[in-house]
Amino acid sequence: MIIAEPLQIAIDELSKLPSIGKKTAQRLALHLLKSDKQTVEALVKSLVELKEKITFCRNCFNISTDELCDICKSAKRDRTMICVVEEASDIIAIEKTNEYNGLYHVLGGVLNPLANVTADKLKINELLPRIEKEGTKEIILALNPDAEGDTTALFIARLLKSYHVKVTRIARGLPIGGDLEFADEATIGRAFLGRIIVQ
Amino acid sequence: MVLRQIDLTNFRLHRKTTINFSDGINYIIGGNGQGKTTILEAIYYLCTTKNINAAADSDVVSFGQEMFEASGDFNELSKDHTKIVFDLSRNKKFYYLNEKAVNSSASVIGRFPIVVLIQSDHAITLGGPSDRRKFVDTVISQASQTYLRLLIDYNKTLKQRTNLLLQIRETGNNRLLEQLNAWSESLVNAGTEIIKHRKNFVNEFNIYIKEAYNRIMTDKEEPEILYESSVNTETQTIEENFKSALLNERDNEIRRAVNLVGPHRDEFIFKINGLELRRFGSQGQHKTFQVSLRFGEFFYLKEKLGKTPIFLMDDIFGELDIYRASKISEYLPKVGQTFITMTDLTKLDDLNKKENRLVIIIEQGKASYA
Repeated sequence: MIIAEPLQIAIDELSKLPSIGKKTAQRLALHLLKSDKQTVEALVKSLVELKEKITFCRNCFNISTDELCDICKSAKRDRTMICVVEEASDIIAIEKTNEYNGLYHVLGGVLNPLANVTADKLKINELLPRIEKEGTKEIILALNPDAEGDTTALFIARLLKSYHVKVTRIARGLPIGGDLEFADEATIGRAFLGRIIVQ
Repeated sequence: MVLRQIDLTNFRLHRKTTINFSDGINYIIGGNGQGKTTILEAIYYLCTTKNINAAADSDVVSFGQEMFEASGDFNELSKDHTKIVFDLSRNKKFYYLNEKAVNSSASVIGRFPIVVLIQSDHAITLGGPSDRRKFVDTVISQASQTYLRLLIDYNKTLKQRTNLLLQIRETGNNRLLEQLNAWSESLVNAGTEIIKHRKNFVNEFNIYIKEAYNRIMTDKEEPEILYESSVNTETQTIEENFKSALLNERDNEIRRAVNLVGPHRDEFIFKINGLELRRFGSQGQHKTFQVSLRFGEFFYLKEKLGKTPIFLMDDIFGELDIYRASKISEYLPKVGQTFITMTDLTKLDDLNKKENRLVIIIEQGKASYA
């Protein structure tokens, strides 16, 4: 089958995006083809501006329009706490909870020797000077509960031993509002291994 | 749990076969290459979505055909209709539970518990430590999803750590040592839990293996399983022992770029009357031990899961003397639904006849009832 070349190029470009397969890419391309020109131009403009205007905060490496992100600039945030996360998308998830009012630090990944990611490829060294500069009292490690996330948390905790700062990890266990009887066995089992003293 | 009926289409020699089973013992009789073990293969697929001998799915499709299909009706408190389809051209397998597609095999495992006694069980008593670890891991995993998760995490950590050891050896970069310590800590965290689970398991399972062994061999032979970890598990300080063992081996680990300490190097030692089976056991003792391990697994899972597993036995009477064979057949009615393949109908006359049983004759991929 012969497809007009510009259409084929558009399909190929779209299918490079994560979670977009060949079929979806084709549907998106045909949809754009049918849309009016203004709609397509608005989309293209937003994408170009995304790339031109957004940078990374030089303090915490969050997504930002300025040198410093809105969170780092804000006078309302509690500057004695830093929450360490893997990616900027994790900040969005935590911000939605409205439960945390401190600062963040984005590592840009986790330790993963198989993918050739060692500590020097992450923003770990950039975290240390912040503690003294900002007078941090607590570092909260909010990394994914898998082998790589756990190890990265352990690694950072080891580095922070020589600093006068409290280091905590977010809890893992049962989802809120979920009945114990409906949770999967692995989650309940892990929740038991990580049980805490109440009294 | 009982499998009432299976339907096979283009499943090896079985072009179109329907069999209704008894809820007791099902003897599947046929000559070599007639398609009797294929029935066990199909049952295993329906219970686990996987091949019983880890053969390729494409090998199971009848010659010249495009797909195989197997379906079965299970009965416990409720009825469950299961179906598995393999499409050769797309090289894809589909599993349906009550007509709904199921995407992950993990959500099927444990739902229809199954215990199999097959030829490759030789390896458990005769093979290397990894064969015994595999046996122990599959039994515990069926009873505990937590253990399965821990194993997956632990194995991932092992791979990552090997890679880092390799990088340290190649580059001699000392800054990587701090990261090695973090990976070691992860290894200890998951590994300690695995050791605890295995230790508990061996303690419990010894009761089951003794019970099973003594039913098959009435003379005074005492079987035993010992747990020998590369980490000292005797005291309350497994974690500390693990850490110090890692520290002792660190230079060796870097030099060889291999993980030298942890449950992935554990050994389970099988003994009869205090003598190591692997070194001093007779053929008959090995076979009896293998059979007892599976009977032990059956009753262990029945107790832990609160469900009665299905028991598959591939040609076990062929290799046993008449004394052991009749002892096992006396034991069988205690089990539940069982599927046993045999080459020879006359052997059956020597075995227990009066129980609830069905004889199915398989010839050239066709089934009939005797």
